[in-house]
Amino acid sequence: MTQDPVTQQTVEVVGQRLHPLTPFVKGWGYFVVAAVALVNNEGLRSNLTVAGIGLAGVLVGGILLGALSWWFTKWQLTGDAIRVDSGFLFRRTRIIRFDRIQAIDVAQPFVARLFGMAELRMDVAGGGKSDGKLSYFRYDEAQQLRTTLLVRAKGEKAAEQQEHDQQAEALAPPLLTVPTNRLLGATLLSSTVVASAGALVWLIVATMVLDFHIGLFAGLPLLLGVVQPIWKQVVGNHGFTLSESSHGLRTKRGLFDVQRQTVPPGRVQGLLITEPLIWRLLGWSRVELDIAGVAGQKEDGDDALEGAQLLPVGERAEVAYVLARVLPGFDLSRIQMHPAPERAKWLRPVGWRYLMYGVDDQVMVTTRGWVSRRTSIVLHHKTQSVRLEQGPIQRRLGLANVHVDTPLGPTDATALHRDQAEAAALVAAQAERAREARRTVAASVAVQTQPNPPSPDGSSNSAASPADDSSDR
Amino acid sequence: MDDLFAPSDVSWTPVSPKLATLRRLNAAIVAGLAAIVALVALGLTLSWLYGVLAVVVIALLLGWAWVLIGRNQRSWKYAEREDELLVSHGVMFRELVVVPYGRMQFVDVTAGPLERAYGMATVELHTATPATDAKIPGLHPDEAGRLRDRLSALGQAQAWGL
Repeated sequence: MTQDPVTQQTVEVVGQRLHPLTPFVKGWGYFVVAAVALVNNEGLRSNLTVAGIGLAGVLVGGILLGALSWWFTKWQLTGDAIRVDSGFLFRRTRIIRFDRIQAIDVAQPFVARLFGMAELRMDVAGGGKSDGKLSYFRYDEAQQLRTTLLVRAKGEKAAEQQEHDQQAEALAPPLLTVPTNRLLGATLLSSTVVASAGALVWLIVATMVLDFHIGLFAGLPLLLGVVQPIWKQVVGNHGFTLSESSHGLRTKRGLFDVQRQTVPPGRVQGLLITEPLIWRLLGWSRVELDIAGVAGQKEDGDDALEGAQLLPVGERAEVAYVLARVLPGFDLSRIQMHPAPERAKWLRPVGWRYLMYGVDDQVMVTTRGWVSRRTSIVLHHKTQSVRLEQGPIQRRLGLANVHVDTPLGPTDATALHRDQAEAAALVAAQAERAREARRTVAASVAVQTQPNPPSPDGSSNSAASPADDSSDR
Repeated sequence: MDDLFAPSDVSWTPVSPKLATLRRLNAAIVAGLAAIVALVALGLTLSWLYGVLAVVVIALLLGWAWVLIGRNQRSWKYAEREDELLVSHGVMFRELVVVPYGRMQFVDVTAGPLERAYGMATVELHTATPATDAKIPGLHPDEAGRLRDRLSALGQAQAWGL
């Protein structure tokens, strides 16, 4: 807490400070919260002097803290690394070596964009996303610094190559875009939102008519159930674009914070097509992917199990198109689906009609669910293990489940409640197919499966870095 | 019936009968502790009659578990096919797992203190997905070691990337 060591240390550090407006851009949320809290507080509103002093106190305190943090944050370029010093009570020095930087991107979050500021994001292998953030700079300053870093990290040629790649990518027409009104409509009609909204309406009516005020407490989570998916879908997936690049399919999405993701061919483990009840009437569905190394990784506040989104909402023709893109020569409608036997209705009174599976020489497809229908597609040569399961009730009915396990991700290929003899045959056949696929695909697709060489890819392909594939071959 | 969960084209190896002894011992220890606690707690709070009743119930449960453990032990078996490891187990909830050797990420051999005292070990095969449940308990340590070496060798030879 003593000032002396701190000042001594700061004297030693020579470096440049960030943009002076940084603390404001970083902390604008607190100011808004403080202001809203003051305005809403009855007691304070009636006593304006106290409110004024309070607001001023928060403002001054916030500005002071922000300014201190800004003052003590300095960055500099050394011979082989970028060094960032920060913190005024707990000093922290982070040194990021140039040769450890996988990718550098200039990003503009919403508020920063208003002020013409930008942050620099450095992808460091093995590090979290926030580890390589440096914010904020003036936009042109950030661009310039990015170029400097690129040249130092990868050499002149690579930097040029990357600029070229980015330009080419910007020029190439996207394969597919999802219009915002469809995104909004799809979200409003998704099962969670409809159920939450319905419950909310019922709650409001019940409260008005019956004076049933206790129920209002349930309103908050319900309201959240309505607002949160809309926010996540509409803002997070705004302007969803699918395009082709030299490294595979690329997705770009987001309104305030643009997220990019690359889907390397041959790294796809499985696909999941989800069709909520109302979407089915409109012919809409969502396509998600399992990608080795992506699922299970936490991605900035997203669910841990979220894989890569290939299409947030699309019409049937678009779904068929992206499926054919990911799995060449694949057509879902051509696969012969086998429904579950009728006696499965003792275990699934309604859903048994939708329990189906189908197989071709490349994939296995399973379907289930009647509120939200989930179609999982798994590739034979990615199959990890096959399991046959039977519980006591299933045994009496002569039914069994077949699981085809793929690495962690949204897909869940389970042929539920099959006739037990059929299930046993399916397990044997599935093991056989996986074995065959491994043998035949070993020659042809292994080339595709080969990870991209650690190429000078400087744009922020946040996911699916080709680092961890080669190790287990 | 049994053929479904144990295809007959491979030779199945049963696990050691001592697995049942070990699990029965485990169950007996747990039941004994539970019986003492129930007897004392019920005896001191309500009446000793209830305590004795609880002990009788626990004894009956233990007897049932005794039979189930025997059946369960007999159900455990595994087979090594040319490309896959097969593990089959369960009486009420039956399961057959087929894991290609090439999918193996690593093999675990574990042995708890009781397992060691009875000369047994557990081998578990891990793939890239946690859903794979290829665990073989009740192996002789030599057999466990042999299986571990064989699995790692085969896994290496047939390894296939994600």
